[in-house]
Amino acid sequence: MKQVYDVLIIGAGVVGSAIAREFSRYILKIGVLEKELDVCYETSGRNSGVLHGGFTYKPGSLRAECSVEGNAEFDKVAEELDVPFKRTGKVVVGFDKKDRESLLKYKAIGEENGVPGLEIIDKARLQELDPSAGGEFAMYSPTTGILNPFIYNVALAENAKENGVDFYFDNEVIAIERDNDLYRVVTKKAVYQTRWVVNSAGLNSAKISSMLGINGYIIGGFKGEYFILDKKAGQFINMPVYPAPGPTGGFATHATPTVDGNVLIGPDSVLVDDLVDYGATVSAMAGLIADGSKMFKHVKPEYFIRNFSGIRPKRIDKETGKALDFVLEVRDEAPNTINLVGIESPGLTSALPLARRAVKMFSEKEPLVPNENFYPKRKGILCFAKQTDEMKKTLIEKDPNYGEIICRCEMVTKAEIIEAVHNSLGVCTVMGIKNRTRAMMGRCQGGYCETRIVEIIKQELNKTTEQVLYKKSGSNMFTGTVRK
Amino acid sequence: MTIKKDVVIVGGGPAGLAAAISLYKQGVEDIVIIEREKQLGGILRQCIHDGFGLTRFKQTLSGPEYSQKFIDLVKELKIECVTDATVIEITPEKKVVAISKLGLLVYQAKAIVLAMGCRERTRGAISIPGSRPAGIYSAGVAQSYINLYNTMVGQEVVILGSGDIGMIMARRMTLEGAKVKAVFEIQPYPSGLPRNIEQCLNDYNIPLYLSHTVTNIKGHSRLEGVTVAKVDEHLHPISGTERDYACDTLILSVGLIPENELSMGCGIKLDGRTKGPLVDDYYQTNIAGIFAAGNVLQVHDLVDFVSAEAEALAASVVEYIKKCRLTPAAINIIADADIGYTVPQKVSGEKDFQISLRVKRPLKNCEISVIQAGTAIKSIKLQKAIPAEMIKIRLTKSDLISIDDLKVVVK
Amino acid sequence: MKKIFTCIICPNGCEITAEVEGQELVSCFGSLCKRGEKYVKQELYDPRRNVATSVLVENGDALLVSVRLTNAVPKAKIFDVMNEIKKVHLIAPVIIGQVIIRNVLDLNSDVIATRKVAVKSK
Repeated sequence: MKQVYDVLIIGAGVVGSAIAREFSRYILKIGVLEKELDVCYETSGRNSGVLHGGFTYKPGSLRAECSVEGNAEFDKVAEELDVPFKRTGKVVVGFDKKDRESLLKYKAIGEENGVPGLEIIDKARLQELDPSAGGEFAMYSPTTGILNPFIYNVALAENAKENGVDFYFDNEVIAIERDNDLYRVVTKKAVYQTRWVVNSAGLNSAKISSMLGINGYIIGGFKGEYFILDKKAGQFINMPVYPAPGPTGGFATHATPTVDGNVLIGPDSVLVDDLVDYGATVSAMAGLIADGSKMFKHVKPEYFIRNFSGIRPKRIDKETGKALDFVLEVRDEAPNTINLVGIESPGLTSALPLARRAVKMFSEKEPLVPNENFYPKRKGILCFAKQTDEMKKTLIEKDPNYGEIICRCEMVTKAEIIEAVHNSLGVCTVMGIKNRTRAMMGRCQGGYCETRIVEIIKQELNKTTEQVLYKKSGSNMFTGTVRK
Repeated sequence: MTIKKDVVIVGGGPAGLAAAISLYKQGVEDIVIIEREKQLGGILRQCIHDGFGLTRFKQTLSGPEYSQKFIDLVKELKIECVTDATVIEITPEKKVVAISKLGLLVYQAKAIVLAMGCRERTRGAISIPGSRPAGIYSAGVAQSYINLYNTMVGQEVVILGSGDIGMIMARRMTLEGAKVKAVFEIQPYPSGLPRNIEQCLNDYNIPLYLSHTVTNIKGHSRLEGVTVAKVDEHLHPISGTERDYACDTLILSVGLIPENELSMGCGIKLDGRTKGPLVDDYYQTNIAGIFAAGNVLQVHDLVDFVSAEAEALAASVVEYIKKCRLTPAAINIIADADIGYTVPQKVSGEKDFQISLRVKRPLKNCEISVIQAGTAIKSIKLQKAIPAEMIKIRLTKSDLISIDDLKVVVK
Repeated sequence: MKKIFTCIICPNGCEITAEVEGQELVSCFGSLCKRGEKYVKQELYDPRRNVATSVLVENGDALLVSVRLTNAVPKAKIFDVMNEIKKVHLIAPVIIGQVIIRNVLDLNSDVIATRKVAVKSK
């Protein structure tokens, strides 16, 4: 007989993974279905990596509430889950009177939301905080931070897995049926039975809602493109530099240091129909350079190492077209479901607060029994490059694979690659290794190490050349061998 | 523990090997080559095509054969080689730190030879629009997969960029049964050598389209196709000229960049044109006792010249080891608008030297002159000069007539 | 009839203009050395090329050994030669210069190894 899950979560983005982790604090049989081959393939891994302060969201909204709560607790979360994180602060810069009014407005909103320490600063102070920032004045938010979005998502999922959650990748949900108080969740690969369903499907959250019988939601995909700049540019920036929001409230192209030392320029925001097309466009690139240069003085082509884009799933008002707040709900027409729709920015910041609220909704329907064995901590792959010389020596003595540098640009060793290849989620794509180790993320973009990493994947996991995948199902890197 | 050495050579490719042998033969024997790979030979290991060694050995060899001649000599002379060790730091005080399975290796050298070679320019560096499926490889990476790892990267191939490695891979993949549909070059002239256009493309009926570039990449999993368009004189795609090519593989051969991350970390000044260190006629960088030759200094088109450059460098290093200093170079070499760069960028005036340069665009029946104080002190006439071919001008110490800067001009 | 050739003998890649009548070379100019004329004649009467590729090696410290021909073969025979080379399996060790196929397809050219492959260390 097939096993029946207590909770089946659809989507292994940061929100789905956080929900899985929070549910794993209780005695429940939990599964996560993901259509891609890894966590954070879509929105969760394609963003600015910012832990938001929470000063742009309407007071009383779920976004405001969750982002402020998520921001406040993140030092503890980062430590618990071993997530690279820096509370850098952030400046929202302005150039003219209109901008100043906007900043004053958001300072007031932020204060109402409970965001601590917001202050309007003059140019001298701005230059002191970040000498490369554009702008005549700014609002300074000391609590804003930067984090590695891949590692955060991986960490939540790995911790959930450690606490008993099953992850199923390459399992796109195509139908959900209600059958004798149980749901039959049909994916392209298999059928799963569960008592509860959680929809945290991000870009597909409206689609999954409909499958659950909750109709009427509209998701607008807002694509934003980015440039990634070399670490050489990273030395010039201390904290995210954002432009003052315009009348519609959203942030335009900004400059953000990454927690690993690169700089992101972006995103723009364009409503798109195609929710899987992450292609870079010429028009967007030109705009990013122009707008990004206003924020950061060192946007130069010689620093460009890659482009990427993300698509934000905004919940749209049918009548006005305006973007609406996050939805987190249980609805009578779909018993035993928790429905999350339109979780866009600040989704990274809000993931755990949303997850706790989801668990609470469940507990209002059914009693929860704490899992005595729940272990909240997760240890990531030790980053060799960040160790002292003494520690490096010790590591090499312990495991000579630390003495073999595979990725030269990011100084990633064979030991780290091997550890990543054997990750607990069983992810074996080249991109999966990249997101876990930073190998291939540097300026040569894998020119030196990709061949070696492919060999390690093949050897460690006993895979043939034809089986090596780049990122998605069907993304086979090779067509075969040269000689048989 | 710090290991003392007269010379530490960073990189065991053609430049490092030639420098080591030459140093040893001139009596500087307390040297070590540090190589990050398990074997010596550098990029030549994967360059299995022939055409190497014509100048030096008067025969046409494959890359591995060419490098083996040097490796054999290094072994015969018992020159110390530390392979499987990656240098992570070089300091102006000439400390070299490497990581290997044996631990952290720390060297204190009297002189350092930079011979790290070059790397390929990537898609990100030139911001090609479109999606990011599997099946996009830079030419050297594809070469490595095919020639070293027994791995076929694809079957239906489009190549962007007419660099030599791209063209060589067009032939290589054709021989292995792939269909190479076309090579597209954004410039109005090819960036690789004419003989490679002939023997790698024309021989196999692979068309080369100049003034064309890739404007879109399609496919979410594996590459499904690319869109190509003609470009105008400003290299902007001309709308309406787009054509789609179905393919599962896109090979990029869009340039090489000297690998100078270690140099920069050490405070060595680079030339924005070559992306290699600024050097004088001793191949010495702005830091006394640190020298550079081969592709780390300037991207060469022929390995024979890399070896020769490294040997010229070795002579200077020998002198430096003996005297602990070299005559400062105060005579700058200034290139005119048609010349991409010169190496060296300045000279001491104390010795004979060679200027390497490339023209920026193809020229016919031209004259390149070195001018000092208004006088042409050396001129060479060329039937043709193309960006793909490095041009060399030899000058003797007696050619110089003053201590004024040198101007290199094309007529 | 005028024909343009790019000489592939050396990296100079001279562009040679040849005056050809039928199959006969009447005159040619544009090459920097004498080998240019020889190349043009060869191209007109019997174009030949070398082939560089790989052969599978078992039990070696490398998966493949690179090979080339000792003499160029007729252009039309390149893929036939490739087919012969593809059939070969070697067992390590292989030494540099080792003859892999003697007188391949009777074309008066040997296929030789251009690198060494040692026995895989345990």
